[in-house]
Amino acid sequence: MSDYVLKTNSLTKQFKNQIALNKVNLSVKKGSIYGFIGQNGAGKSTFIRLVTGLARPTAGSMELFGYSHGQELNQARKRIGTIIEGPALYPHMTAAENLEAHRLLKGIPGKECVKRTLAIVGLQDTGKKKAKNFSLGMKQRLGIAIALLGDPEFLILDEPINGLDPMGVVEIRELLKKLNQEYGMTILISSHILSELHLLATHYGIIHKGNLLEQLTIEELNKKCQQFLHIKVNNPEKAATIMEKQLSTNDFEVMPDGCMKLFDYVETPGKVSSILVNEGLIIEEFMPMGQNLESYFMNRIGGIHHG
Amino acid sequence: MDNLIKAEWFKLRKDRSLWTLIIILTTVSLLYPLLIVFDEGADTVMVIDFYRNSILGGNNYVLRLVPCILAGFFISSEYAIGTMKSIAASGNSRVRIYFAKLIVYSIGAIFISLIFPIVFTGAASVFLHFNGMPGIGYFAGTIGLTILYAVAFASIMAVFATIFTDSGKSIGFMLIFFILFDSILFILSQLNPVLEAVFNYSVFKLFLDIVNVDSVNVPEMIKLVVVPVVTFVAFGILGSILFQKKEIK
Repeated sequence: MSDYVLKTNSLTKQFKNQIALNKVNLSVKKGSIYGFIGQNGAGKSTFIRLVTGLARPTAGSMELFGYSHGQELNQARKRIGTIIEGPALYPHMTAAENLEAHRLLKGIPGKECVKRTLAIVGLQDTGKKKAKNFSLGMKQRLGIAIALLGDPEFLILDEPINGLDPMGVVEIRELLKKLNQEYGMTILISSHILSELHLLATHYGIIHKGNLLEQLTIEELNKKCQQFLHIKVNNPEKAATIMEKQLSTNDFEVMPDGCMKLFDYVETPGKVSSILVNEGLIIEEFMPMGQNLESYFMNRIGGIHHG
Repeated sequence: MDNLIKAEWFKLRKDRSLWTLIIILTTVSLLYPLLIVFDEGADTVMVIDFYRNSILGGNNYVLRLVPCILAGFFISSEYAIGTMKSIAASGNSRVRIYFAKLIVYSIGAIFISLIFPIVFTGAASVFLHFNGMPGIGYFAGTIGLTILYAVAFASIMAVFATIFTDSGKSIGFMLIFFILFDSILFILSQLNPVLEAVFNYSVFKLFLDIVNVDSVNVPEMIKLVVVPVVTFVAFGILGSILFQKKEIK
């Protein structure tokens, strides 16, 4: 049994002269929460549409739960719950009726799952209110409820927290964490709210202009985003000795250009600078540095693009 | 397939356009015979004549035009509101999805097309004091053919509704198409023998013969039955192929 729920191999999608996805090799590990990051038009939704069978790849292949061909691949899609480009609801139906329509579609026996799923997303008291009269946040929740019907093993959520109020965002985050941790549900989630993704995802994929730039785990990302003191002095060797002996730390790196990254004392930079100065070193550069997911993402795709 | 049909049936029952059309057609069916009674008197009109001329004649328009509206709301709107994405991503085969939709939509079209022959006839029979009722064989024959032709037209409408994926465009195009196409096909059939054969064996011509079901001979009756069945199968297959190849946005 494969450790991966989804693996793509050089997945490519071309629209006439425009390449929407270019040889994407993406892997979603079983039990992970995969944060799929990219600008508008980067190819996230196109990727999701290929995985869910709404569109066909121009080239490349995919493996879903170990199945990669024809009817088996399509059958494997029954184990997925999806929100694709916003919640798909019948506006003239109530929340329960929307779920009932999807329950029948998925062939799930018993109506009790409708009430249970509504309760999970906090829509159990919406009664006869039609979906068209729901707030955006309620629509998102109902979309998630539809995706959760039938206890899928793999959830694919395209911008699921769009339009939610802060409380709603926290609730959905906790819900997704619970589904992942308690039920072992694998989740692929695309979102523009990177700070939110950072609180949720265990793995990340960064896509830009149809190219998957990088895949990394939360540990790798945290290491790359770690806060540190950037120090440039006239004598790095002496500074290293001072850090080891007087600051009692080995948690630093000396870069090839002589600059140093000190991962300790980030909260008390004054102590470091005073010791270095007292030891006669000349400090040329001294500043706290580091990145969050947003700045890491911006750096990775090459800064802010206008246009 | 069973679950897909159940889901479509659930949606059809909740479809407001279907209920609106049914209410409008039923209201017309109940009120129009009253006008005839007031205008011509209850004992001067025979139900059979009224059935042939007014009910089946009027139903020719209902049969090929009104289900276009249902197709727009029941099929095309699924693309417009995005629910077709959920359906197509559900892991069911596209062929089954299409045929489940087509079968249930055809049932809706049958409901629409039977209101005049049944409700209108019932109301007219009461108002006209059951004077000169149509024979049961003739009545059953016209009902049966009406069902067959409703299904055949529904299969053509479902193809257009799948192509256009927008309720307004679908309804607009189909209304114009179904109003004009038989005339266009008739004119073309005068110019080319192949097109003449196409016209003669098309539902666009043959559905006008429903009213003559009591006077057609056996080969013509077979033609009247087989053509809509073949049309349904052919357009069902064509629609399912188009739907299979379609990229759902």
